[in-house]
Amino acid sequence: MTARTARRGRYALAVIAVTAAIAIAVTVVAFASPGRPAGRAFPPLRPTAAPAGWPHLALPNGTAVLSYPPSLRPLAGDTDAVSAARLGPGGAFRLYLNATPRQGSERLLGWAAFRLRLLRSDDAASAHQDAAAQGVRFRGGTGSCVIDDYFTRIGGHHYQEVACLVQGRTSASVIVAAAPAARWARARPLLLRAVAAYLVR
Amino acid sequence: MISSLIRQTALSRHPRMLLALPAAAALAVTLAACGSSGNPSAHPATPKPAGTAHSHTHSAPTHAAVTTPPASPATAPAPPPPTMAPTQPANPIPQGNGGDQDADNNGGPSDGDGNI
Repeated sequence: MTARTARRGRYALAVIAVTAAIAIAVTVVAFASPGRPAGRAFPPLRPTAAPAGWPHLALPNGTAVLSYPPSLRPLAGDTDAVSAARLGPGGAFRLYLNATPRQGSERLLGWAAFRLRLLRSDDAASAHQDAAAQGVRFRGGTGSCVIDDYFTRIGGHHYQEVACLVQGRTSASVIVAAAPAARWARARPLLLRAVAAYLVR
Repeated sequence: MISSLIRQTALSRHPRMLLALPAAAALAVTLAACGSSGNPSAHPATPKPAGTAHSHTHSAPTHAAVTTPPASPATAPAPPPPTMAPTQPANPIPQGNGGDQDADNNGGPSDGDGNI
């Protein structure tokens, strides 16, 4: 037993300790990371006519029809668009539907990035993509969709939405279905039902 | 046999080495915990009541006005804290009931316009 072998033993233990510490740190960081898993699947959307009793709002230019649950009420907005919403006490938005003709440089390819960029440049302080899909079938057309959530610049409200750019035979339009993020899980089936009923021409 | 003897000897000579592993692990856990505190999810988990700034002046929404003034105290009330984020977009539709006066310019959900 020499001093050198004893020193080697200490070094070996130190190496083991450091290696174990690194492994633990990596594991903890991996589990503690706040980021949501990327590439979450977009829910299947089957184009289906709205249930009986759902009112309809046609775009003023006649290129699309938004169907909405009877618990929502039409809401005034842009003259070329239609909106419906369910409002809670104090006017808080519970459910929100909007259809707007394509106005700018929206394209099916890269729609999710476009929508997030638009949110961030307009009324959202931050926006985060949750899921996206292309080639989504709609009644009368095909679309690209994104599910995202964002915080508004005014009021810091946290909304989650599904926004789709839908290309019909003659024109394209955007349908947005949104709800407060805290209510998204409950609202999502009804909102997706409205999106699936969206009719384009 | 020899190696185990060496290890045993090293540990007996330097018992602090036995503490190295748990100490390093504790340090790693602490560092990891500190490292994840500055994430974007520091936003409030639940939204503030929506629609508090929602007020159309040109249309007739189906909901009542939502901005309720606080109970008037004996002294003049202090102005409410601003709710707009300091950062402004490059070329937005103005917020604060500006532009097309949509709900989304007043803290409501964003509509599908192309920001035109």
